[in-house]
Amino acid sequence: MEMSELTQSSAPRRFLGGQLLGSSQLVLGIILAVLCIAISIAAPQFYSEANIIAILRQCALVLIVASGMTMLIITAEVDLSVGASLAFVGCIGMAVLNSTHSLALGMLAALAFAGGVGLFNGLVVTRLKVNSLIATIGTMMMLQGGVYLFTREAVQNHHRLISFTDLGAGYIGAIPLPVVIAVVIFAIAAVTLRFTTLGRYLYAVGANERAVRLSGVRSERLKLFAFVVTGLCVGVAGMILSSLMNAGQPTAGRGFELTVIAAVILGGTSLLGGRGSLFGTLLGVLVMKVIDNGIIILGWNQDLQMVVPGVVIILATYLDIIRNRANVG
Amino acid sequence: MSVDFLHPGEGTAVDTGVPALEMRGIDKRFPGVVALDNVDLTLEPGKIHALMGENGAGKSTLIKIMAGVYGKDAGTIRMRGRELDIKSPRDSLKEGIKVVFQEIALISEFTVAENIFLEGYPTGKGGSIDWRKIRADSAALFNRIGFNVDPAARTGSLPVSQQQMVEIARALAHEARVVVMDEPTSSLTPNEISLLFTVIRRLAALGIAVLYVSHKLDEVFEIADTVTVLRDGRHVSTRPIGEHTNDTLIQDMIGRRIESLFPRKRGTPGSKVALSVQGLSTAKKLKDVSFEANAGEVLGFFGLMGAGRTELAKAIVGFDPITSGTISVDGRGLLPHDTHTGVRLGIGLLTEDRKSEGLMGELPVYQNASLASLGAFARMGFIDKAGERKAVQDYVDRFRIKTPSLFQQIKNLSGGNQQKVLISRWLMRGLKVIVVDEPTRGIDVGAKSEIFALIDRLAGEGLAVVMMTSEMPELLGLADRIAVMCEGRLTAIMSRDDATQEKILNAAIG
Repeated sequence: MEMSELTQSSAPRRFLGGQLLGSSQLVLGIILAVLCIAISIAAPQFYSEANIIAILRQCALVLIVASGMTMLIITAEVDLSVGASLAFVGCIGMAVLNSTHSLALGMLAALAFAGGVGLFNGLVVTRLKVNSLIATIGTMMMLQGGVYLFTREAVQNHHRLISFTDLGAGYIGAIPLPVVIAVVIFAIAAVTLRFTTLGRYLYAVGANERAVRLSGVRSERLKLFAFVVTGLCVGVAGMILSSLMNAGQPTAGRGFELTVIAAVILGGTSLLGGRGSLFGTLLGVLVMKVIDNGIIILGWNQDLQMVVPGVVIILATYLDIIRNRANVG
Repeated sequence: MSVDFLHPGEGTAVDTGVPALEMRGIDKRFPGVVALDNVDLTLEPGKIHALMGENGAGKSTLIKIMAGVYGKDAGTIRMRGRELDIKSPRDSLKEGIKVVFQEIALISEFTVAENIFLEGYPTGKGGSIDWRKIRADSAALFNRIGFNVDPAARTGSLPVSQQQMVEIARALAHEARVVVMDEPTSSLTPNEISLLFTVIRRLAALGIAVLYVSHKLDEVFEIADTVTVLRDGRHVSTRPIGEHTNDTLIQDMIGRRIESLFPRKRGTPGSKVALSVQGLSTAKKLKDVSFEANAGEVLGFFGLMGAGRTELAKAIVGFDPITSGTISVDGRGLLPHDTHTGVRLGIGLLTEDRKSEGLMGELPVYQNASLASLGAFARMGFIDKAGERKAVQDYVDRFRIKTPSLFQQIKNLSGGNQQKVLISRWLMRGLKVIVVDEPTRGIDVGAKSEIFALIDRLAGEGLAVVMMTSEMPELLGLADRIAVMCEGRLTAIMSRDDATQEKILNAAIG
């Protein structure tokens, strides 16, 4: 009973704190800055144009899928099948390109497949009421096995379409095309979350689905939407990846879902739903990829590429808890 | 543990001269707030002492200090003149203070007898636990408080009322001289309440000092000898119950006078049917419920626990599925049966369970208020945030919603203010029928009258208000007509003028 009064009286202070330094973005921004400075002192080539472009290109794939995943996690659901779907999409896209020689049809097939996977996940979660963690692990296993039923080995590029190669390797001005695509998708998602009724409802569903439903909003459709958007993002990313590898690789995308989800969580989006932002996700992606890049240019053991981000996630989440505690006082 | 707990003090005259427990000048601070400021409390053996106050008045903090859950910052606690040093719940129990919290602290997987002797099982030869003795002693304890619970029953399988009895038996097993009951009736039926009162009186007759913590006036008038009122962490008054009236108690609790708890400003309801429910049944509870509610009317639904009021509320707004029957709002059927259609037709629910069905706790006040009417602020899918905030600010001003800002997370508001925001949510949307389920649950006396005034105003503005309540005064004070439910059926509908407590209770029992 006294607690309510307690929090109430300390609330304005917490709110101000939240505005000034409470956001996990600030912590993350500092981490990112420290990383960049430290790495560039140890290895000055970190700031070369080539390296920065390499980092951005690395970020692009993760950021595209993380844009959808942020929306999904804000609604308090998650999709673990994105990595498996990414590989499958590449194989299907490449196969369709080989038989039709049309980039449009290839893209369409990739989007239809990945969107279909998202729709399937969404229906299982909203209609059958299966927990999304479990449902999408199931989908992940189906896709990982299914891709081998589809092809035993990499689907090679037999069509030689230049426009397809450009998808991964092309530039607009000095900026790689995948980065441009990622920025566009990121911007659309960010604007949707921040300024539209749709975005508001996505937060609301994550914060309290029953309240949203009682208010006359069809909460299942919102979740379904977030699943499909995540799927479509995987479709785009899968095509870019197969372009970069110049083949549809059934083994691609292993662990990709963890990188994406880690970046979203690192960016301050709550797995419990209702809280998070795309700007945070962007910082999360940058931190993960700068660490990757740092390990490579410093010549460290590459296996650390998995270890270090793991440590960073635990630390960042712990910092978040400490900061919240300090704010509550 | 010795055997003599079965008859301690019996025959010894109760020494009324020396207080059983004396707390003097108790201070307690939490970061940023003074929870208790120089509070005194004296409990006499054999007397029932009520502790009253609104949420946040300091009742819980005070009894938690007694129980050893919190340490005190200043002040003294004496028992029969001896100063106590309570550092932990264990110390408190050892000194003979037993607090029965609202959240019962028993191990639900253990038997009743095991729970009673949790702190020290009597042992037989070779240190093995003497189960027969435990059972027999438990039965003897229940005998003393005049209430029988099977000592071999699994505790978790018992209703809350019986679990309370187990806690009381534990108190006797520890030779408690002070028993604290924290809001003990909040989930009991009227029958169980009267049984509990019998047991509490019996404790007092045994010479135990009972502290009865509650905010329910009628209960306190029924059972207490003395009342202490706290407000904002300060001691306001301690008086024999005979010196109090409803008004003086409320005045002490909220620090000002309420002219009337149920101000009626609306006129007589119209005759236009706003909501019509015919032959409604659900899979689990409701059986063939039919009624109509008119525009401008408050139709009150009464029923005991489990009568099906909440089930009815959720079914008629489209939230829970129905198996048969029709619902229509202004003559338009609720088809398909879902909340999306319901809200479109103009029927909405103010839920009894604010936390899990009403509030988006982490989100700011203005987003909570505009949730149902967001479409009205949308231009091509984009939210006109300035317009939205201005509209919410209007309601915050009109309903005097106390919040530091529109951006405050709603979980930090008091229950009364949260409820006002949720009512605003529906008013911003515009409804024809509003179903309110236990509208004042968890809300302070002071804020209650404001919620009643709001409900009166809703009906005055022409809404049909369907109100589910288990509080008789609320029902009689607000409703134009009264419907009574029992085990999923509608057993009576009467006008307010024909209704008496007796008639209503008879219908509620079925």
